[in-house]
Amino acid sequence: MPETGKMARLVRSEGVWLFSRSPSAILAAIATVLIVLGALFAPWIAPTNPYDLASFSLFDGLLPPVWADGGDARFLLGTDDQGRDMLSSILYGARLSLSIAAMAMAVALVLGVGLGLAAGYFGGRLDAIVMRIADVQLALPAILTALLIDGISRGILPRALHDDLRVAVITLAIALSLWVNFARTARASVFVERNKDYVQAAIMMGQHPLRIMFRHILPNIVGPLLVIATVDLASAILLEATLSFLGVGLPANAPSLGTLIRIGMQYLLSGEWWILWIPTVFLVVLVVAINLLGDFLRDLFNPGMR
Amino acid sequence: MFRTTLPTAALALSIALLSATPIAAETFRWAGTTDPQTMDPHAVNAAPVLSFLNNVYEGLVRRGPDMNEEPSLATAWEALPDGAGWRFTLRQGVTFHDGAAFNADDVIFSYQRAASEASDVRSWFASVTDVVRVDDYTVDFLTSAPNPLFPGSIANFLIIDADWAVANGAELPARDAENFATRNANGTGPFVLAARDPGIETRLVPNAGWWDNAAHNVTEAVFTPIGNPATGLAALLSGEIDLISPIPLQDVAQVEGRAGFKVQAGLETRVIVLGFGHDHDTLKYSDETDANPFRDPRVRLAVAQAIDVDTIDRVIMRGAAEPASQLLPAGLSGYSDQHADRPAFDPDGAKTLLAEAGFADGFSFGLMCPNDRYINDEAVCRAVASMLARVGIDAKVNAMPVRGYWDELRAGNFDMYLLGWSPGTFDAEHPIRFLAHSRTERLGTWNFGGYSSARIDALLAPIQQEIDPNARQAMLDEAAGILQDDVAYVPLYTEPLIWAMKDSVNVVQRPDNFFMLRWVSVN
Amino acid sequence: MAGFILKRLVQSVFVMLAVAFLAFSLFTFVGDPISQMTGVETSLQDQARLREELGLNDPFVVQFMRFTGDMLQGDFGYSFRTREPIGAMLLSRLPATLELGVVALVISLVVGIPAGIYTALRPRGLVSQSILIGTLIGVSIPTFVIGILLIFLFGVQLGWLPTFGRGGTVQIGWWRSSLFTGDGWRSLVLPSLTLGLFQLTLTMRLVRAQMMEVMRTDHIRFAIARGVPWRSIRYRHALSNTLIPVITIIGLQFGGVIAFSIVTESVFQWPGMGLLFLESIRFVDIPVMSVYLVVIAFFFVVINLLVDLLYVAIDPRLRVRESA
Repeated sequence: MPETGKMARLVRSEGVWLFSRSPSAILAAIATVLIVLGALFAPWIAPTNPYDLASFSLFDGLLPPVWADGGDARFLLGTDDQGRDMLSSILYGARLSLSIAAMAMAVALVLGVGLGLAAGYFGGRLDAIVMRIADVQLALPAILTALLIDGISRGILPRALHDDLRVAVITLAIALSLWVNFARTARASVFVERNKDYVQAAIMMGQHPLRIMFRHILPNIVGPLLVIATVDLASAILLEATLSFLGVGLPANAPSLGTLIRIGMQYLLSGEWWILWIPTVFLVVLVVAINLLGDFLRDLFNPGMR
Repeated sequence: MFRTTLPTAALALSIALLSATPIAAETFRWAGTTDPQTMDPHAVNAAPVLSFLNNVYEGLVRRGPDMNEEPSLATAWEALPDGAGWRFTLRQGVTFHDGAAFNADDVIFSYQRAASEASDVRSWFASVTDVVRVDDYTVDFLTSAPNPLFPGSIANFLIIDADWAVANGAELPARDAENFATRNANGTGPFVLAARDPGIETRLVPNAGWWDNAAHNVTEAVFTPIGNPATGLAALLSGEIDLISPIPLQDVAQVEGRAGFKVQAGLETRVIVLGFGHDHDTLKYSDETDANPFRDPRVRLAVAQAIDVDTIDRVIMRGAAEPASQLLPAGLSGYSDQHADRPAFDPDGAKTLLAEAGFADGFSFGLMCPNDRYINDEAVCRAVASMLARVGIDAKVNAMPVRGYWDELRAGNFDMYLLGWSPGTFDAEHPIRFLAHSRTERLGTWNFGGYSSARIDALLAPIQQEIDPNARQAMLDEAAGILQDDVAYVPLYTEPLIWAMKDSVNVVQRPDNFFMLRWVSVN
Repeated sequence: MAGFILKRLVQSVFVMLAVAFLAFSLFTFVGDPISQMTGVETSLQDQARLREELGLNDPFVVQFMRFTGDMLQGDFGYSFRTREPIGAMLLSRLPATLELGVVALVISLVVGIPAGIYTALRPRGLVSQSILIGTLIGVSIPTFVIGILLIFLFGVQLGWLPTFGRGGTVQIGWWRSSLFTGDGWRSLVLPSLTLGLFQLTLTMRLVRAQMMEVMRTDHIRFAIARGVPWRSIRYRHALSNTLIPVITIIGLQFGGVIAFSIVTESVFQWPGMGLLFLESIRFVDIPVMSVYLVVIAFFFVVINLLVDLLYVAIDPRLRVRESA
């Protein structure tokens, strides 16, 4: 392994050059940064606070965006069935969706890669146990995992806390349904890498297993992990939307992007198109941008793949 | 003679057209959100089941297009002397779908079956002490107390063929494992069950030997449950089905705007109300106060005044609902015309009332709400919360699927809750019995908040037994007045009934939302 | 090899038991079956009696033991909601889900693998970039929105395809198939596209990443150096190495397809097991939900077993390791 400092410099300089040559990456980065900033600073940017019930009125319900007939200058992107400003809802929704997806991804990544590496490296009983747990996990579709966690938290936590922990419940449910992919990929790659000469050499040199795993094996499987991570970050956002669609997601008074789309689905045909399509387009742009960035990063970290 | 030629030709033509109609009608396909879970008329007391089975089975009494009671398997009924019960004279010459003759034995068997412990409809017979066979076509239902409403209350008591049930081992409704009557039927109704594929589709064909004149022109009818509203609407607009009930309110304009389709809207008999935790000492979901402000009638009145039902109706219900003042919709038997006004929308008055009650600074509380039970239920709750926030009280909406909802309400996990009530007997006594009477094992079973009024409790039995309509109405008026003065509940609106269909379909929309194939005609 | 299979079989039984336990325990939280089974007017005593009769008052462990005990004897019990035997219920819904899943999987493979190879070999090409971005957008729209859009485009506006259900079916023994009628196939198009789209993108991206990875490994470079023709390198050396991990993912995907079909079946009113499961949740039909989960677990376990065996068969290095 070359010294990390040199490697980082190489990646940086090359990265900038590559980045400047990739219009899709630039666009994706701009979109992502804008959305993330909007989400981060939602409380300061958004015209109204959609969580504050007194700030909106049913009188303003179902107003179209400003540019459409009957639009109201107070509501740039129109209002929903409750009279809530769509722009504010979307900014706050993105904030919620992004934090859930990011947290779920992080939990899944750490859990999955850790278990997968350990299982693949040590093999034997540990491997069997981890993989069987993975089997159990895979056998429970995400919606059921969500129901399970929801049910357990309902059972053991005091009633009043339950609603407040809804976000944590969804996050955990999504994380639990995503970690297996990481684990299996990490494990499969370890099987392949483990028998390669450099790892064998490191083992013979008496290096600590942890060091071998994280210094030698992990960097070599960053590629496949990144593919999964990007696809999964996107699916974490979509999964949250799907859970909301199936009625086990977040409540409508603290809407995520997924919940906004679920509410909007009721207006698919009714003519109030903005209630569905504005959050949907926003979600699609966000997910596509994240995926494009992921693609770019992957190419960057895997020079051989260019 | 020659002058008759033209009319004769016209007559011949119209006969040809008429006789062609059934062929043109072909198969009638309709969809609803829920599949009837069983074909057994006594196993489940649920609207989807009873609505469907009323096409296959019949009761002694049936309801006409305006919910009026009319003769069915009984041609006449009269009260026995001294309020001892009711005598039903049965229709002669009626046969079940398998050809067996209908007589008093079938009625007594069906009664025993429906009143058995395995039945879910046995509460209809709570006052019945015995059923006596007088002769082949006369049956007496003896009751423990005078019961003027009894004939109407058993309009959904469907008669099953005794011999058929016994021969197939379906003497009792299925309790654990299914039995023959779960998927098969043998009634006397206008339609015969031809094929049953639970959850997928159910086929009916007309009963050629039906005793009544068929007003429909359907040659085959297929029911498909479609749970997803958008899918159901798509199925209608693409022509794959002929009628769907209900459709989402927001899609009404879309359907009406399309050539070849129409919407039939009416009012259901269900009233949506807000309930309070009357017997809770404290609020369960509040940080601000240790008391329960909703025990104070002024606070409850403030809630009623803070809610702008007209705007909820206009925006969320698209103007299809009707503001309500009582626990049953206007026009039903026993509705109190004296109490037809609901508290006016008056946010300032609400604030004053709250201040008088000592809650000028407001308080927070939990509003429980189903999200898949009533039309736009969750949106209504959120709107209510938003309106209450404007007078300074902060409702935390907790919306959940109905599958866990009743459990939460029974456990008292609410400060305020949303409830819809449809009086099964279409009479004002029904909501008093279930919602207003103090909570006991048998009465007030849906009075989750534990509202209690000694006068209401005392009025229930006389209301149930009074034969004289005027005296009865006077008591019902008094009860309605007490409930309004106490603001025991805040009635919001009567739910609308929205069916969408092809232009060629003509149906009768009964307020109980039952779909009666015998009134369907397809041009 | 026999020992390996035996070991995996024993493990699989434990997986099934664990799933059954989790499944059963989670349903105690879903809601109250009694209030869903009885009418509004049913008295509290009658409700309590029904609860007792159904054994819902028994301790959880007793209920679970009874459930597994009956199941081991082949008795899947009866639905709370319809009182039908659950075994027959699921069996009648199984063909619909399997046919939908297989067709969706075939779509995802037939399109996904070639697209993955193509985009790996010509990563800079305009076509590759369009494919990548196109599928990205497709996969970024929630499945339920795509499904309903397809319904409205092809069902309502164009009127080409049916919007719900399976269409004409043919009964072959207990298997009801929609693969033998034109109408059945037409009904399959939209749901299988909806279901297959997500898997397609996943397959494609996986094949692409793996192919690119393999193309730079030593033995490919060595083959290039030896002067092996490009065509042979791509399709013999590289592809065969690419497909090993892809097999795993495809195996796992089939499980995912079956699980994800819940959403698709709900949107298209497709009468499969997923739809049955959703209805069961709505009505707190605990026995049906539990059995459904165990059946799904069974699928996963069998698929995983097959994948592992394939792995061993394809990659000799693993064979050595397993026998060691």
